[in-house]
Amino acid sequence: MSARGRGATLPRVVAAEWTKLTSLRSTWWAALASVAVSAALTYLSANASSGDPGYDPLGDLTAGLLLTQLGPLVLGVLAGTGEFSTGGFRTTFVAVPRRWPVLAAQAAAVAGFALPVAVASVVAAVLAVLPAASSRDLPVNLTEGSTPQELAGTVLFLTGLSLFGLAVGALVRRAVPALVTVIGLTLVLPVVLTLAVEPTGTTFAEGVTPQEAAVNTITTLLPSGAGGLLVTPSDALTVPGAPDLGAVGGGLVLAAWALVPLVAAALRLRLKDVK
Amino acid sequence: MIQVRALTKRYGPHTAVDGLTFTAPPGAVTGFLGPNGAGKSTTMRMIVGLERPTSGTATVDGVRYADLGAPLHSVGTMLDARSVHPGRSAFRHLMAMARTHGIPRSRVEEVIGLTGLESVAGRRTGTFSLGMGQRLGIAGALLGDPGTLILDEPVNGLDPDGVLWVRHLVKELAAEGRAVLLSSHLVHELALCADRVVVIGKGRLLADAALGDPALGAGSLEDAYLRLTAGSVEYRAGAAGGGAR
Repeated sequence: MSARGRGATLPRVVAAEWTKLTSLRSTWWAALASVAVSAALTYLSANASSGDPGYDPLGDLTAGLLLTQLGPLVLGVLAGTGEFSTGGFRTTFVAVPRRWPVLAAQAAAVAGFALPVAVASVVAAVLAVLPAASSRDLPVNLTEGSTPQELAGTVLFLTGLSLFGLAVGALVRRAVPALVTVIGLTLVLPVVLTLAVEPTGTTFAEGVTPQEAAVNTITTLLPSGAGGLLVTPSDALTVPGAPDLGAVGGGLVLAAWALVPLVAAALRLRLKDVK
Repeated sequence: MIQVRALTKRYGPHTAVDGLTFTAPPGAVTGFLGPNGAGKSTTMRMIVGLERPTSGTATVDGVRYADLGAPLHSVGTMLDARSVHPGRSAFRHLMAMARTHGIPRSRVEEVIGLTGLESVAGRRTGTFSLGMGQRLGIAGALLGDPGTLILDEPVNGLDPDGVLWVRHLVKELAAEGRAVLLSSHLVHELALCADRVVVIGKGRLLADAALGDPALGAGSLEDAYLRLTAGSVEYRAGAAGGGAR
């Protein structure tokens, strides 16, 4: 009946957040969606392109990435907003009155969950190119050239997106606005920007207009663009007019997209009432 | 033991709690009464650190809530039956709470048994009736075996059996030497289980007395409550024009 024990230490709060994350169906649905979309889109893309004369099965490994991103994003957003959209935060912050360890623990739990999901999504993509490759009797060698970086980069990209989703969710606190924000920034905005500056005649790198250069710079710095640098070897992709960040630079920009809203959410938790 | 000293909370120009001072001593059930909007819930949220007082202090066993080493072992809190994620089972909800303090699974099963939730513990709490949600809230409050309990409207939505159960439970908890602060709109119910009452209206203390204290005047607790809060009720049926805003 008296105070005892060490209370809410960080490892304990991580264990609690892990229990919370894995006890929601939405978490498992998002994980399943990530793996299933990765397998399905990669399979379709590989089948469609396997008829090409110079077909390279490895070229299709990241074909499903555009929509596979949605799984980790939704996973992160729901983890970040779940407490506030339901009132569960009262229970949480009464147990952990210092509050910030909850955010740190959520980041650890989401990353710990999203990492194996990302690995499974990549494995699913590899398995999905095998039928097309074997139909053309082409070998699938994952250890050659830039393929290892592509696979590892995809895992980091997808895991990073889950943390970006968590951070925006924790800051915005409501699921729908948070989802609109992250999907807008990763999927919609790059497309809108690219459409806005359709090449106006000059099509090759030397003739980039300032407008195009600006758009390319922005899309490179958006979460999907920065994360894309983790996936695509830099020598294969020089975006005209955009800064050459490389894989490490791209990873750091993606990390900033997660870290900045997470710190803002921590400050909001520290300075404001929760009710 | 809960000690509230000159506690004040303002939201912009609106003062929700206004210089409130009272104590919920150990070994007693302190009933916390007041009309809707009197500031009961705001006071309780300030005691457990969810809201910061504009001025004044609230302490548990002499310590600010945020400074308690292991809060769940000091204070058991049930603020709102909707303080759970509806997609999580009752068992997982309690397990997550327990893990923050290294409380063993056996204790989670114990409080599930104490609150009669065995048959529904595996169900998602979104499917719960109000009464089952209240039992889950009480289970969470008991989890850390705390010396102080803060229960906001615990009998709301309970069936007569449940009401009787809460009445016996809080009396038993106080008899074990714990401090229990219990808010309710059900004045009759409080008259049956409280040792003392704290009555507030518009954020101010109206009375702080033991049940039967002459300060509460003659007649029932309900009579005393209605007399005390006559000037601070915002909405009362049948009041002529001026009663409503």
